[in-house]
Amino acid sequence: MDSRAEVGAIDARALLTQAEKGASLWSDAGRRLAKNRLAVAGVVVLACVFVFAAIGPFASPYSYDGQDRENRFAPPSGAHWFGTDNLGRDLLVRTMVGGRVSLMVGLAATAVSLVIGVLYGATAGFVGGRLDQAMMRVVDVLYTLPFTIFAIILVTYSGQSIVLVFVAIGAVEWLTMARIVRGQIMSLREKEFVDAAVVMGLSRRRILLRHLIPNALGPIIVFVTLTVPRVMLLEAFLSYLGLGVQAPMSSWGSLIREGTLAMEEYPWLLIFPSLALSLTLFSLNFLGDGLRDALDPRSSKD
Amino acid sequence: MGGDMTASAERLLRVEGLRTSFHTREGVLRAVDDLSFTVDQGRTLGIVGESGSGKSVAMLSLLGLIPMPPGRIEGGRALFGGRDLLRCTARELRRVRGREISMIFQDPMTALNPFMTIGAQLTEPLTVHEGIGRRAARGRAIAALEEVGIQDAEERLRSYPHEFSGGMRQRVMIAMALITRPRLLIADEPTTALDVTVQAQILELIRRLQGELGMAVVLITHDLGVVAAVCEDVVVMYAGRALESASAVGLFAQPRHPYTSALLASLPTLRGRGAELYTIPGMPPDLTEPRAGCPFAPRCEHAAEICGASPVLEETAPGHWTACVRVQRGELPVEALRVAGEDEGLRAP
Amino acid sequence: MHMTRYVVRQLASFIPVLFVIITLTFFLVRLAPGGPFSSEKALSAEALAQINAHYNLDAPLWRQYVDYLAGLARGDLGPSMKQPSRSVSEWIAYKFPASLELGLYGLLFALCVGLPAGILAAWRPNTWTDQLPMALAMAGICIPNFVLGPLLVYVFSLRLQWLPVAQWDGFAHKILPAVTLGAVYAAYIARLSRAALLDVLSQDFIRTARAKGLSEPRVVLRHALRGGLQPVVSFLGPAAAGIITGSFVVENIFRVPGLGTEFVKAAMNRDYTMILGTVLFFAVLIMLFNLAVDVVQAWLDPRLRHG
Ligand SMILES: Nc1ncnc2c1ncn2[C@@H]1O[C@H](COP(=O)(O)OP(=O)(O)O)[C@@H](O)[C@H]1O
Ligand SMILES: [Mg+2]
Repeated sequence: MDSRAEVGAIDARALLTQAEKGASLWSDAGRRLAKNRLAVAGVVVLACVFVFAAIGPFASPYSYDGQDRENRFAPPSGAHWFGTDNLGRDLLVRTMVGGRVSLMVGLAATAVSLVIGVLYGATAGFVGGRLDQAMMRVVDVLYTLPFTIFAIILVTYSGQSIVLVFVAIGAVEWLTMARIVRGQIMSLREKEFVDAAVVMGLSRRRILLRHLIPNALGPIIVFVTLTVPRVMLLEAFLSYLGLGVQAPMSSWGSLIREGTLAMEEYPWLLIFPSLALSLTLFSLNFLGDGLRDALDPRSSKD
Repeated sequence: MGGDMTASAERLLRVEGLRTSFHTREGVLRAVDDLSFTVDQGRTLGIVGESGSGKSVAMLSLLGLIPMPPGRIEGGRALFGGRDLLRCTARELRRVRGREISMIFQDPMTALNPFMTIGAQLTEPLTVHEGIGRRAARGRAIAALEEVGIQDAEERLRSYPHEFSGGMRQRVMIAMALITRPRLLIADEPTTALDVTVQAQILELIRRLQGELGMAVVLITHDLGVVAAVCEDVVVMYAGRALESASAVGLFAQPRHPYTSALLASLPTLRGRGAELYTIPGMPPDLTEPRAGCPFAPRCEHAAEICGASPVLEETAPGHWTACVRVQRGELPVEALRVAGEDEGLRAP
Repeated sequence: MHMTRYVVRQLASFIPVLFVIITLTFFLVRLAPGGPFSSEKALSAEALAQINAHYNLDAPLWRQYVDYLAGLARGDLGPSMKQPSRSVSEWIAYKFPASLELGLYGLLFALCVGLPAGILAAWRPNTWTDQLPMALAMAGICIPNFVLGPLLVYVFSLRLQWLPVAQWDGFAHKILPAVTLGAVYAAYIARLSRAALLDVLSQDFIRTARAKGLSEPRVVLRHALRGGLQPVVSFLGPAAAGIITGSFVVENIFRVPGLGTEFVKAAMNRDYTMILGTVLFFAVLIMLFNLAVDVVQAWLDPRLRHG
């Protein structure tokens, strides 16, 4: 019917302009994110944690492995803000250095999983058909493997090298990334605005650059912000079990482990590293949630 | 009807100045903007308009089914059985919904709960509103299914929606809506999602049951052909407002608003075969923009400066109300609105 | 019936996956430097050779692999290399019950707290009844169990003295470990069920239910919950895997005599047979749980029941 055909044409145009809004979608998202107080607080705290971990150790008179037998288990004071541990090492500096390890592991492993996941998922999504099915079947099978258990084995056998911790963790996390990227590509390929773009005679290149990628980027960014804390948690978990970073090097997980052993009499040894880890995890998660809300055009909260 | 002084005895529903808007990120979208209409007992009112003109939102507003937020009912009255539906408490409204006013929706594929059996869904209005026992409710459910022409009703009670075709599901929806014998049925584009052959059957079913049960029907559609086939009264909506309101016979005999005539002109059945179809130029207005004057003016071939003034519905012929300032002032002879070359036309039944 | 066929097919598909797992683990543990007895300096070269011969460790790798598979085919997981008082199967049978109990309590806690919290939150989105449980859920996700556990011990056992410190007998001893283990899953379940419920509540058939004049509790509990439960049910698969690995830490904190502790110990000691046996056992467990989840899923959604 004619009236319907007309309505169809209008819809196509509306959808296209909606997709063309790609660029403004990002600035809109930025504005929405700025209005989300929790997410902004997350960004601020994260910035502080980065400075704390990256620059902090240089500003401290102590070194992370400098022992002071006279000053074992000293409670927090003007000289040692976070107190000292069983060997008289300054906990503040150890927490800062531990932060370096935790953040580095988090970012590096996420980067590894991002690269593998995006390449794998995008290939499957774009090629489609048989290859896609086979590739996704592989992911399904890998999913059923108990990866954390493998990570444990890998780490115990690797001589506890940090590099292998990255690899192990990156290998655990890329599966979900691949699924998300593939799903995005598939659904975007089917979205009406791509048809509309084709109908309007846009080139494939332009469709890819102006429509598909900007639209797929949102979920990937969100996933990355939510993967970093998960990876950090996994590293902390391994270190807590005594499998990750080895003394005298520290990471938040290993510090927490040392803290629990002495928490009855010297609770600060548990409290400060736990606070550092949880605060960072909170910030990353709030930022991730905020990004998701800001980037999701469907959520119509005021 | 008790409290409603202004209504004549047979008036069932009287909506006045209904305004509903959505407060979204993009701004305030005024989906229904000062809409008035009435429904008489036992009659069928058709509400026509392009998609997005606010038909569904208007009906959902009456029953308190607008999602809030972002929706907000900004004003108006909806008198029904001596109450103003827009000012009822949630509890009072629940006693109206599904008991005195039932509603069926456009897409029968999604309107039924996929996790519940047909029987459980069908008997729900009875247990909720009439508090009758399971066995009695079952009996009524079987009768209701038979009434809408579903065979093996007893067996079908145990089926799930996905085991039915679209047309069958719409029949189930109708059975469910009518099982409490409401006084008003609101059917929101009940045939839009169905095959053409099934469409006619469903319309026929609604018409038959209306006759048998003596209820009133509000039939929402974007298809003037459906109006011609089923309705006695018509309201033409555009951009959240009523532009014209008349009996179906009157409207088809002589549209008195340029928009209505343009709609009629774009109906393929009105024209000789092979003739080029007429399309209304331009697009419906952006409802988030502030607006003044006639909403159709930018697309109206008869628009003049005067159309910058906001029109209200006025009776321009007996029983025929029009919201066009130029027609109201007699500047635009209604004969000019007849589509050239239309002779046989489309007759109301 | 369709479902039985499905179950059988899934069970059959486990076999190749398990094969992959065994192979990967086998070569992973053996190719890495160090062995079960390499760190025992007291052993003379002679004694070492004898022990290696005893455990078939002197055979070529492929031979060891084939022998291991042959043993598996007979249902024999072999002897534990570092704790030879029991065979691997006996160790599993001896240590697993405590882990199972802990895991079940943890899961129970997660469901009993997470689901109601999610429903409450979805009830009135963006009000305090939504924000409070969601803030708690966020805390549950951001406070790792190895922080939460010691914290709970510190507060409830050491300071308030309400609950006994680490030990493993009687219900009172199991509360803190179960809460520690389940907290993060309670948090995820709350967030998932909230999101799923909100999604279902925006669907057409909910509008139909409301148009019938149903009360809001009835709309949510009778019409929306079933659909809203689905993501929660599918989450239980990964959750079970997570609870198993999570119990490594929780058993460690609370000195639970479970299989998780055994596994970590075995990994550190290079107890080859014990590692392989427990990995295999965990893998089968996770797969069976995932299968159970699929079946529940089909039971919840009539559309999945028939082909
Ligand atoms: N929940 C909602 N949020 C925001 N806008 C809405 C919502 N529901 C409807 N609208 C808008 O209200 C207008 C009228 O819609 P509707 O009544 O569904 O039109 P129709 O006449 O096709 O039934 C449309 O512009 C639509 O986009
Ligand atoms: Mg509609």
